[in-house]
Amino acid sequence: MFRQRSQINFLMLSRVVGWLLMVEAVFMLLPLITCIIYDEADAQAFAVTAGITALSGVLMAYCIKPERTEMGKREGFLLTAMTWIFFSIFGMLPFMIGDLELKISDAFFETMSGFTTTGATVMTSIEHLSHGMLMWRCLMQWIGGMGIILFTLAVIPMLNHSGGMQMFNAEVTGITHEKLRPRVSQTAKGLWLVYVILTALLTFLLWLGPMNFFDALCHAFSTMSTGGFSTRDASVGAWNSMYVKIIVTLFMFLGGVNFALLFRASTGHVRELWRSEVFRTYIYVIGVMLVLFVVAIFANKEAHTFEDTIVDPLFLIISTITSTGLTVSNFEKWGAFVIALMFVLMFIGACAGSTSGGAKMDRMLFLVKNVRNEIHRCIHPNAIHSVRVNGKVLSPELVNKVIAFLCLYVMLIMVGGIVLTTIGIPLVDAFFSAFSCIGNTGLGAGVTGYGGSYDIIPDFGKWVLALLMVIGRLELFTVLILFSRDFWRK
Amino acid sequence: MRIVIAGAGEVGSHLAKLLSYENQDIVLIDQDMAKLANIDANYNLMTLQGRITSFQTLKDAGVENCDLFIAVSPYETTNVISCSIAKRLGAEKTVARIDNYEFMKKENKEYFSAIGVDSLIYPEFLAAQEIVTALERPWVRHWFELHDGEIILVGVKLRENATLIGMQLKDLSAMRPSFHISAIKRRHQTIIPRGDDYVKEDDILYFTTTRDHVDDLLEICGKTDFKVKKVLIMGGSRIAVSTVELGANEYKFKIIDHDMNVCRSLAESCPDCEIIHGDARDMDVLREEGIGDVDAFIALTDSSEANILACLMAKEFGVAKTIAEVENLQFISEAEGLNIGTTINKKLLASSTIFQLLLDVDSSTPKCHALTDAEVAEIEVKPKSKITRAQVKDLSLSKDMTIAGLIRNGVGMLVTGNTQIQAGDHVVVFCLAGALHKVEKLFN
Repeated sequence: MFRQRSQINFLMLSRVVGWLLMVEAVFMLLPLITCIIYDEADAQAFAVTAGITALSGVLMAYCIKPERTEMGKREGFLLTAMTWIFFSIFGMLPFMIGDLELKISDAFFETMSGFTTTGATVMTSIEHLSHGMLMWRCLMQWIGGMGIILFTLAVIPMLNHSGGMQMFNAEVTGITHEKLRPRVSQTAKGLWLVYVILTALLTFLLWLGPMNFFDALCHAFSTMSTGGFSTRDASVGAWNSMYVKIIVTLFMFLGGVNFALLFRASTGHVRELWRSEVFRTYIYVIGVMLVLFVVAIFANKEAHTFEDTIVDPLFLIISTITSTGLTVSNFEKWGAFVIALMFVLMFIGACAGSTSGGAKMDRMLFLVKNVRNEIHRCIHPNAIHSVRVNGKVLSPELVNKVIAFLCLYVMLIMVGGIVLTTIGIPLVDAFFSAFSCIGNTGLGAGVTGYGGSYDIIPDFGKWVLALLMVIGRLELFTVLILFSRDFWRK
Repeated sequence: MRIVIAGAGEVGSHLAKLLSYENQDIVLIDQDMAKLANIDANYNLMTLQGRITSFQTLKDAGVENCDLFIAVSPYETTNVISCSIAKRLGAEKTVARIDNYEFMKKENKEYFSAIGVDSLIYPEFLAAQEIVTALERPWVRHWFELHDGEIILVGVKLRENATLIGMQLKDLSAMRPSFHISAIKRRHQTIIPRGDDYVKEDDILYFTTTRDHVDDLLEICGKTDFKVKKVLIMGGSRIAVSTVELGANEYKFKIIDHDMNVCRSLAESCPDCEIIHGDARDMDVLREEGIGDVDAFIALTDSSEANILACLMAKEFGVAKTIAEVENLQFISEAEGLNIGTTINKKLLASSTIFQLLLDVDSSTPKCHALTDAEVAEIEVKPKSKITRAQVKDLSLSKDMTIAGLIRNGVGMLVTGNTQIQAGDHVVVFCLAGALHKVEKLFN
């Protein structure tokens, strides 16, 4: 009880990371099985990786005996950040020892982009990859989309205490973290259940359409997690099917909704969905954007069919706002205005507590309401203002936290962009790449006409971008706090 | 078990934290967001903001299918209404915190069950009972009777004159003593001792023994018993009033309070005792009121610090027994280290009542006693429960619990490794905080 403020409990951290690696090894069996079914040489790479991962996990979890098992706030932050890095380090091995033989910087970038559901790739063409490799890319996004920690909380009962609570807080997106049930493992199970059911449903629907089961599963993984990896170079465009586009649009949209809200809607509280102000704003933003896009399309005389005018822009809007980063074939022709609108969408992002990236709709809503209050205050300096969401008044501390987050977010884009310019990347592309990575959107650098994939960025740039991705996925503070002196000071 | 706690005050949040360590599903309701925010972010439980007497809030908290509803807001009327609503919505069992002795009376029990309040907690009354027990036996720190005194758990602090000091537990048990050392509180930690542990000076030892052998303990611990007659109470709180009511026949009380209005109302509610208006922290006042002759000094003001210091001062004056109300849990072990006799804590008393209810799943009659980081419980053994399967030494019990004694056919006896526990026995279990759910599993 009266111990000095403790040093970070590294032994316990390594044990938990060990458990998590064992979970990752289990996930690696899926691409391994895929390889075996399709009789591909990459099976060896996956078998070796899964073996190494499982072995490291067992060693870390059972050969180290921590004296005490409790974990505090600092362990929660450190563990969450470390988990994501460890997952990427082991997850990149198949890319390096498989047929692809990627360099370490490329492999790490690709893996981090997978787990953070960014969907940026260093590969110029993916059609020559083995089925197992394609499966692994999509599966990584699926795991990362809902959250590695969250999955572990659901399956490992040992984390069902307040240490697990800290990890939950450090990983789940959003300003406040809604709990579905009293215990954190029940909450995690509830969220994953929604996620798994939606993914299964999507797989089935896509399979009904023109896709085979393998493509359907891969796309379900990357769509539900709003990641954006595909199995074809032309992405979902390859099937040239309006059915696929509409289904994918619908599920990307669901992937951008708060999963706690979906859980409640699925347990019979459908009305709560509409009662949520954030959800309503999400729909309004999409609606307004659709109108603007359609106007732009007409102005550029690109409106030929129903698909061109409504389905494609809707697909692009939802894909961008949920940070999926899938594109349609001809959107460059819609004019610079559309690209400018896409920047806005990328920045906003979808609802907190979803699998999407960006700064999150909740925060934008807070910000807009706060700005309105400030303007009102200029004329009525004595009026008492409060930011009210869903009928509940938010504390000024919460509003401050949101503003700090948004400032930091913009600053990080700036810093990232500036660092990238030092290695010779053109100004616009440097900022755009940084923006795209921190928001986990992963829209190709191709948007700005710099190149087809991130392949062209020098190694140093890839490490910087990979770091930005994980900072963005864990919502800034979890990673940035590790760089603060307070965190390490005893 | 699903538990809803209404009111995140001191007792409510303490219970919520404690029960979440016991792996229960906790929902904590309070109107004040600020009280909830910190608990929500750091503990494995769910919080909900709202009025505890609102049907909608209680529905949102899932009261319909909760096993236990605990209302511990500061207002008894709110608590009673809240429990009544919760019961109507479908709560299995409800508990309300009250501060009115009338409510506790047997003849009113029926009324409360009719409106849906199953149990009542009255922490001030429990505290008064604890104080009276402590006055009866001034040489012990804790005194806990189970099953009408068949088994008694005694906490004693060892001074340098105790003959036990320096002995190893396995040597002790070889002598077949008439007691069982269930736990040792050493500095700030309670430990369940094993055979190779030694007894040290300044340890608080928790003995389990039977009624006839209590007096043996006096000798080995180097204590002497004496009769308390004159008692000086500092602070005219509700606990003081209850204590005076309970012990008026046995003891002569004198209450000092510095608030004139409190003194006036005390004079009305406690006609048999002497009321002094003055500051008990003032040496002169104490001397004037004869601190030198009193047998016991009880400090019951709102401030834990003042209570602890006043008790130390009374010790300097030569008062043999001091009792302090210490509401900060962290201060308790400090106070125990400072030779303050007995400490009283309303939160611990309230939580022992709740633990009783937790173990009381199918209406056996357990009793519970909460210490700062441990609990003692008396549990009835059910047929076919895990604990009856082997002799105690072969049960491989977890290291944070021990079986202190048992009552078979109404007769208390000590437990050794060779004891075989049978269905129908009442077993006394001593377990460290967080282990109560393991105990529950063993017995069900």
